[in-house]
Amino acid sequence: MSQKNIRNFCIIAHIDHGKSTLADRILEYTGALSDREMADQVLDSMDLERERGITIKLQAVRLNYKAADGEEYVLNLIDTPGHVDFSYEVSRSLAACEGALLVIDASQGIEAQTLANLYLALDHDLEVIPVINKIDLPNADPERVKQELEESIGFSGDEAVLVSARTGQGIVDVLEAIVQRIPAPKGDPDAPARAMIFDSHYDQYRGAVAYARVVDGTIRKGDIIRMMSSGREFEVDELGVFRPAMVSVAALGPGDVGCVIASMKDVRDTRVGDTITVAARPAKEPLSGYRPAKPMVFCGLYPVINEEYLDLRDALQKLQLNDASLTFEAESSVALGFGYRCGFLGLLHLEIVQERLEREFDLDLITTAPSVVYQVVKKDGTVLEVDNPAALPDPTEIDHIKEPYVRASVMVPDDFVGAVMDLCQDRRGIFLNMQYVTPERAHLEYELPLAEILMDFFDRLKSRTKGYASLDYEFIGYREAQVVKLDILLNGNPVDALSCIIHADKAQVRGRSLVEKLKEVIPRQQFEVPIQAAIGHKIIARETVRALRKDVLAKCYGGDVSRKRKLLEKQKEGKKRMKSLGNVDVPQEAFMAILKVD
Amino acid sequence: MEQTLGIYIHVPFCEHKCYYCDFYSIVAGAHADFAGVVSSYLVSLRKEALLYQSQWAGHYFNSLFLGGGTPTILPAEDLAELVTFFRTELPLSPQAEITVEANPNTLSYEGLKLLGAAGVNRISLGAQAFQDSLLRSLGRLHSADQIISSVKRIRRAGIGNVNLDLMFGLPGQTMGDWVDTLEQALALEPEHFSCYSLILEEGTPFADWERAGLLKLPSHDLQAEMFETAIRILTAAGYVHYEISNFSRPGRQSRHNLLYWYNQPFLGLGPGATGYLGRTRYTNAPDVWGYIHDIGEGKLPTRSSISVTLEEEMDETMMVGMRLLAGVSEESFRLRYGVSYFDVYPEQIADLMARGLVEHTDGHLRVTKRGLFLENLVSGAFLR
Repeated sequence: MSQKNIRNFCIIAHIDHGKSTLADRILEYTGALSDREMADQVLDSMDLERERGITIKLQAVRLNYKAADGEEYVLNLIDTPGHVDFSYEVSRSLAACEGALLVIDASQGIEAQTLANLYLALDHDLEVIPVINKIDLPNADPERVKQELEESIGFSGDEAVLVSARTGQGIVDVLEAIVQRIPAPKGDPDAPARAMIFDSHYDQYRGAVAYARVVDGTIRKGDIIRMMSSGREFEVDELGVFRPAMVSVAALGPGDVGCVIASMKDVRDTRVGDTITVAARPAKEPLSGYRPAKPMVFCGLYPVINEEYLDLRDALQKLQLNDASLTFEAESSVALGFGYRCGFLGLLHLEIVQERLEREFDLDLITTAPSVVYQVVKKDGTVLEVDNPAALPDPTEIDHIKEPYVRASVMVPDDFVGAVMDLCQDRRGIFLNMQYVTPERAHLEYELPLAEILMDFFDRLKSRTKGYASLDYEFIGYREAQVVKLDILLNGNPVDALSCIIHADKAQVRGRSLVEKLKEVIPRQQFEVPIQAAIGHKIIARETVRALRKDVLAKCYGGDVSRKRKLLEKQKEGKKRMKSLGNVDVPQEAFMAILKVD
Repeated sequence: MEQTLGIYIHVPFCEHKCYYCDFYSIVAGAHADFAGVVSSYLVSLRKEALLYQSQWAGHYFNSLFLGGGTPTILPAEDLAELVTFFRTELPLSPQAEITVEANPNTLSYEGLKLLGAAGVNRISLGAQAFQDSLLRSLGRLHSADQIISSVKRIRRAGIGNVNLDLMFGLPGQTMGDWVDTLEQALALEPEHFSCYSLILEEGTPFADWERAGLLKLPSHDLQAEMFETAIRILTAAGYVHYEISNFSRPGRQSRHNLLYWYNQPFLGLGPGATGYLGRTRYTNAPDVWGYIHDIGEGKLPTRSSISVTLEEEMDETMMVGMRLLAGVSEESFRLRYGVSYFDVYPEQIADLMARGLVEHTDGHLRVTKRGLFLENLVSGAFLR
């Protein structure tokens, strides 16, 4: 296929605006799938993705389309993740395209991620085709969405294509728009090969598989390829394209999108954003834009059952094969035993990893409170990066501490503007800007400490706005902050896994609600257990779990000794699932509870 | 070696199910051919006892206990005949304790005379409480007055050994109610008390109501205080607190219950009954029809049967034995198993002692006052 008949595009949208359904219809229409094969939302292959309605891993599908002009085209649809945590991955898949379909729900209108994705697409010089979806729904209002497009983005209303991905209405218009409006790839077929990796995944039998977009030159089966960031070289075993099942091809030329299989051990050999070249005739310069993924959020993951520590390590290693942005290193906690300090791109990434560990690897986990990375500037001038309260130096050594800030963008119906402002204010937000995209909908911008977003911000935003608000944010830098370490003491002993770093103004309130919550979930013990919150040596809140006064089967089970035995064994089993700290038995709920208090 | 054994007979019939009870029973009025079922059941019990003949031959029974259900819902003639059968056809010792459980509204003077004549020498009466409103809320069909008149009737009929079952921790029960119950019960001067705390069992209406948030159960602290109060009032009145839930006049401990606490073998008969023979625990078919059917085919109606290893039996001997306030005698344990419990459970005992839950005095390992209230921690420690 000649380069001029290739179109590389992606679909970008706010969550639930119908990206996956549109992809399905396009696949169906171009015959990539027969109806019979068609499981809904084919591109979201992991169960978890399907349940959450989000796309975690991106993939690329090659489609054949005979356009109205009578010519055959190859359309490469590159799927993108839809969440802020994966914005770097989104940016790489955008960089692999020349155009993007911007899907907007005809009743919801423009949301925070619609804008975030659009700006990202424009940054990559993509041709953007607005697609107004779900026009078959009774409350669809495409005219209002067109107006939003004009006012907030500057599109003219008739650039938008109206579709119903559910019924298939308007799909041909979308395909024609792709062919006519998105430019063909402009690569140099004779230059040394350069291909950009925009995704990778780990296959049990083939090792790491890189998904790449060839920009210049050609990669052939049998070539020795070189990863330009690391210099590591591999022999190409196989090249493939997806229709959507993989089909082997002999070569990938300029403009082509496909996968490269070269006996690579894990996905750290196939870093997203890296450039592949051919060792025999290497390119001088890599393609621009590569940066290693940097975790923003850290937490400790501990097995409930200590013996599962090694299973947890194996599971993390397996996930890491497929997820280059996940980091982990062994740590130990007095309270929780052996576990791992894990780094994530964001809160959603954390939740997904945690859920996959529990679901796919059948592990019971305790998660400690997520923390951002603080920059601790010591009096001697050295700077320490601290992502774990336990690693905070003694206060006397600290000159000041800086915390990461984000610029948060919230789209919200007019009625809830006040509620959102209150929440942001409460979370130490700095107001930047407010703009009405339509008379009913406002776009708010705040600067917020990332730490505040980690503390249940999204759930609260949703509940205060009846689910209407949408959120997007990006990291903007570090700022000095008055933070302190808040410790929790059980029976006078600090429990490391319950410590957190928190803004000084909030320590009192949080300390109080933590001890109250812990009082609810820690069962009575043989002795009275004081629960205290402390900053340094100063106790700021206290509750007491009163002593267990009676734990006895004062009942007649007749001679049914087995039944009595079972009851006692069950009780012992329950006790075993608790963490024993000193002589206090603490259920795992206690460690979960701290994630959910104010 | 000659051994003394007990017999437990489960009588799975009730006039009405109490809302807290999860023992197997069927409600008399709910079945058209109730009389037919009862007569097949009574025949089956005799056959079942004889099926075990090879296991009891050469031993003596020193206790026969008819529990339920409500045994006294059966015609007194039938019950008396049943007891007579066991006394004549099985090797029951002449001094055997023969107990029948009864509800206060099911006892007539004539019936009691018949039972006494057949050899019944102990009645265990399900009194539970002395407040009519509480009795109703438990699903009991009798009143407080009927408890009082029943006890008098039992005495008049010449049966000299009476137990009252009482319950605390009931929904809506106050400390005042409980003290009143204890005092009214004491006034009847029974030989024995069993004081049980309400335990919610799966599958009972109480468990469902609790889940739905409909039960107003006394707090943990109040339940503990009720238990303390029972111990204080009953011991002050001269009763010996000999097992967690049991109090008796000196020498009037329930021989049948002691057999359980000593982890001795016993023959369990009837639907849903459990037994322990030849270091095997078995449980019978839980429904009366399945039970009758099996016996009709000449086979044992057991549905599960677990053989207990020597180690497990040791654990269980400690588990049940520590419920007795006298504790477990080191000497008896050694005679039975050839080893001291200090050698079998060194860490467990040291830990329990360090936590102040048990003590070893006069050759017995026993719970302390604290250990009594937290007895599950003690018994549980011996399960390896």
